Amino acid sequence: MRFFLFIFTQTLRNICHSWGVQLMTLLTVTLSVLIFSFFYLIYTNMLQAGEKLGQELRLTVYLESPLNPAEQEEFKKKVNSFGKVEKIIFITPEQAFQRLAKQLGNDSDVLADLSPAFLPFSAEIYPEKDFHNLSRIKEFSDYLKNLPGTQKVQYGQAWVERFGHFVKLLRFIVIISGTLLILTTLFMVSSTLRLTLYARQDELKVLRYLGATNSYIKGPVLIEGFALGLFGSSLGLGALFFLFQWIKINFSSAVFLGLFELRFLPMTTSAVILLGSIMLCTLGSLLSIRRLLKR
Amino acid sequence: MVETLNESLSPHDHSVLVEIVKVTKIYPPDVMALRNVSLSAEKGELIFLTGPSGAGKTTLLKLLCRQEIPTKGLIEIDGNDLNTLSDNAIQKLRQRIGVAYQDFKLLPRLSVFQNIAMPMEVQFKNPKDIRNRVTELLAKLGLSDKQNKPAGKLSRGEQQRITIARAAANSPLLLLADEPTGNLDAVTTGLVMDLFQELNENGSTIIIATHDESIYRGTNHRKFELQQGELF
Ligand SMILES: Nc1ncnc2c1ncn2[C@@H]1O[C@H](COP(=O)(O)OP(=O)(O)OP(=O)(O)O)[C@@H](O)[C@H]1O
Ligand SMILES: [Mg+2]
Repeated sequence: MRFFLFIFTQTLRNICHSWGVQLMTLLTVTLSVLIFSFFYLIYTNMLQAGEKLGQELRLTVYLESPLNPAEQEEFKKKVNSFGKVEKIIFITPEQAFQRLAKQLGNDSDVLADLSPAFLPFSAEIYPEKDFHNLSRIKEFSDYLKNLPGTQKVQYGQAWVERFGHFVKLLRFIVIISGTLLILTTLFMVSSTLRLTLYARQDELKVLRYLGATNSYIKGPVLIEGFALGLFGSSLGLGALFFLFQWIKINFSSAVFLGLFELRFLPMTTSAVILLGSIMLCTLGSLLSIRRLLKR
Repeated sequence: MVETLNESLSPHDHSVLVEIVKVTKIYPPDVMALRNVSLSAEKGELIFLTGPSGAGKTTLLKLLCRQEIPTKGLIEIDGNDLNTLSDNAIQKLRQRIGVAYQDFKLLPRLSVFQNIAMPMEVQFKNPKDIRNRVTELLAKLGLSDKQNKPAGKLSRGEQQRITIARAAANSPLLLLADEPTGNLDAVTTGLVMDLFQELNENGSTIIIATHDESIYRGTNHRKFELQQGELF
């Protein structure tokens, strides 16, 4: 108990001794955590959006000629041989025409002179939920394109591909900023603490002469690292939360956001980031004293 | 991990605390500070170490608290061979040795109180006990009104008494005082010697290195003289 009290007061003394540098380090940790968790937040929200959009995803196969019921069965069998699908709906030109008219609403009179015959017979394929892997959609589409009688396959290729690239880019940024987070916290913390230890060299020397054990000297430094990690990452996550709220309030009406709900990082993820930063900073402080305690 | 010190006395002689056997210290490259010095001090003894400047008094004290390592020879304190003790054991031993340094080794920015409290904090002593002990020592050395001043702002005589108070704080097994009265007038010298006397009566072994004839004249404590690194 008394041991901890001493270590704690000693820690406070050290922090007061060089609060300027310590504050800078704290802010660096905060910023690193903020940057990393910000990108991670976008990444997870994008993944979630992708899943949501994927659920509404369907492939439309335009056929060269209408299929009779037997041919429809045959077609279904071929489709299912690639992967399970939830359902297949066949759309006659008439149905397609009505849909189009509905979509046009008041402007539907442009269709007045046209007959449904200009629209092709088509099949709408809804892939199974677990089939919603965006990368497989393209393969699926290629497969369908090669079926006999297929004219064209549509599934919003451009959108799906762009989205896939975007997610890949985000993943890359997340990895980069995560690496930066690790490096900055480790190096900043260890070099700052080493600097403060250099500044306290006289004191450490005297402490050694007075019989201070390694734990008496190391303890406060480790606690400093721990505190830097704890407060730095809490501040970073707190800042992210406020940023998130601000974005949600100011941009929730935007069209693309209307498609899905923005979600903050789950508790477990936040906890992992928090604990990870604490571990990194403590490790940084360990690195800083490792060399100093010779003799 | 914790290497326990040999708390019991040496098996050969039950009352010997410090045993110095044929110790030579050469500072690189070739300064012979001590030559073949042997000395033993019994528990509870008070010993004076005299000799002209540069004779090696400080060097001898530094060897005893392992601030320096002998070039040759053996040093045992309370049965522990200083050459073979682990780092951690050295630190534990240092906790039982108080040293009043000739160059004080105070932390100028810390207060007088904090400086004197340090050796007790290092041992995680009760804060209340620490406060009482520091107050007591300050009163005994006539420094009560300086308690909260930064140590660096005090006169040399005052700093000297602080380093003595710090050395005495834990009522150490062994107290090494290097020129403890060098900057003091007769009255404060008296205060310091009274403190040493009291510690000595309570069981501390004390070695005082000094030029000051007045503090050993007429006492019946043992006195050794160093001359150019040799003990007489
Ligand atoms: N760190 C060192 N490196 C090299 N030589 C040293 C060192 N410390 C002391 N010496 C030399 O060793 C000799 C003994 O020095 P020491 O400090 O032990 O003398 P002293 O008896 O304490 O003198 P004083 O009474 O002036 O304090 C001197 O010649 C000194 O110059
Ligand atoms: Mg000297």
